[in-house]
Amino acid sequence: METRPLGETGHDSTVMTFGTIALNWLEQEGADQMVELVLDHGVNHFDVAPMYGDAELKLGPKLRQYRDDIFLGCKTQERGYEGTKRKMEASFDRLGVDTIDLYQVHGLEYEEELDRITADDGALEAMREAKADGVIDHIGLTSHGNPQLILDAIDRIDDLETLMFPLNPVVAGRDDEDHDYQAVLDRANEEGIGTLVIKAFAKGSWPSTDDLLERNRPYANWYEPVDSPDVIRERFDFAASQDVTSVVSAGDPKLVAMILDAASRYDGMDEAAQRSLVEGARHDDSPVPEQLHH
Amino acid sequence: MDVPRTVMAALADRPVEGATCLEAGAGVGKTTAGLLADGADRVYAITNDAEHARTVRERVGRDHSDRVAVLDADLVATPLASDSVEVITAHGLCNVLPPASLDAVLEELMRVAAPDCHLVVDDYDPLPDDAAMQNLFAVENAAAALATGDSALTFYPATTLRRLLTGHGWAFDRERTLLDPVPWTANHVEAHANAARASARTLSDELSAPLLTEIDRLVDAIGEESTGTMYSLAFRLPG
Repeated sequence: METRPLGETGHDSTVMTFGTIALNWLEQEGADQMVELVLDHGVNHFDVAPMYGDAELKLGPKLRQYRDDIFLGCKTQERGYEGTKRKMEASFDRLGVDTIDLYQVHGLEYEEELDRITADDGALEAMREAKADGVIDHIGLTSHGNPQLILDAIDRIDDLETLMFPLNPVVAGRDDEDHDYQAVLDRANEEGIGTLVIKAFAKGSWPSTDDLLERNRPYANWYEPVDSPDVIRERFDFAASQDVTSVVSAGDPKLVAMILDAASRYDGMDEAAQRSLVEGARHDDSPVPEQLHH
Repeated sequence: MDVPRTVMAALADRPVEGATCLEAGAGVGKTTAGLLADGADRVYAITNDAEHARTVRERVGRDHSDRVAVLDADLVATPLASDSVEVITAHGLCNVLPPASLDAVLEELMRVAAPDCHLVVDDYDPLPDDAAMQNLFAVENAAAALATGDSALTFYPATTLRRLLTGHGWAFDRERTLLDPVPWTANHVEAHANAARASARTLSDELSAPLLTEIDRLVDAIGEESTGTMYSLAFRLPG
């Protein structure tokens, strides 16, 4: 599988990152098999978090078996120094490892949170200490939030080495500031920050729970995913061809094999085909129904 | 409004900034929005569809009233002065012009073009034979031909328009592919079906009934389809 430099970390990540939340939905034996499958495809970058149910625990055995083959990203939703230290320790315990390659601020959403994590007693201080102690190697940030907030974070965190944020044809077709993740990507590339893409496989929001109860959803994703091999391949190819480092796989284990296949076969996507996906998504969601043309 | 990637790609290498532009066949204003975003000094958005003209005024003209003039006019006789326009765009225009009208429109574009004018023509190649959308376009054309005597849609190959325009005196500059494949979404399918239904309803019951039935069947059968290509041709008027 193709690899690309993860910013200036010195690590070359595979073009697909395994989102290990998928392991949460499997029994241990199935989780072990899935990690084997992912490694068989050559994937070398895994992403986990304590909030992904039992994913850390279920990843643990195979992670320890193949520790040298896996670049491990973990993250915390804690914003303060003490909470971050505690969560980091808990992740070390649950994963059963001594070091984490990339530790990320998870899900930054509000300006106040940016103030909090950058404060003297903030999350970043705990991460910097852990880095100085040699138990984490790199510091990153993830966000589904406003692109401007992520740009602010780039400005305010000098030692930021990776960013994880949404990118897909639906988002790419919107010009407004709330969807301008392209600006985030451009800026990250200027600054030598590695980029990890999420929501590449999002089709849309789930129907309201009045129409579809949460327990009746067919996939364990936060959003309704695309779910046919051809469309997954298109979505993967689109995301991977946006000058990013790596595309994070979707959270439902039923989709992982299809995404692995797409990632293994990735061979670029020309601009006309990229525009085709953006235009298709844009017209599906168009406020003007009577459009004959593109 | 969001500027479609197709429009951005077609205009990317054109000197739009500061130019006086004509969007020939304004549709809902997508290219007008693109020309404005790229810094056009003034855009004349011309359409002969009153509803489209209203849409362009509402969606684009309102925020740029000093830079946009939406004109409800026939493209074979525009109210623009001769030799007055520096950039002309025809985005998805030619396919709605039957061969008999195409030449007259191109003559008029030539008249208003200033020396060194740039012309961008974006359109669809004929669909592959196995495309399901072909069947819907065939019914749309049949209904329109029965209703008005003209086809609704003619997909000119890029090579045909290129030869035609160079014959009119334009110097060919470049061709690029805007969409491959073209995503004919459920919205497009429905829009074309509605256009076909509107033509069919002007016919006698004997003619309209089977057409309407076939249109409904095709909408269900097609759903959506990605097929064919959309191209962009760019030309320059010798100074």
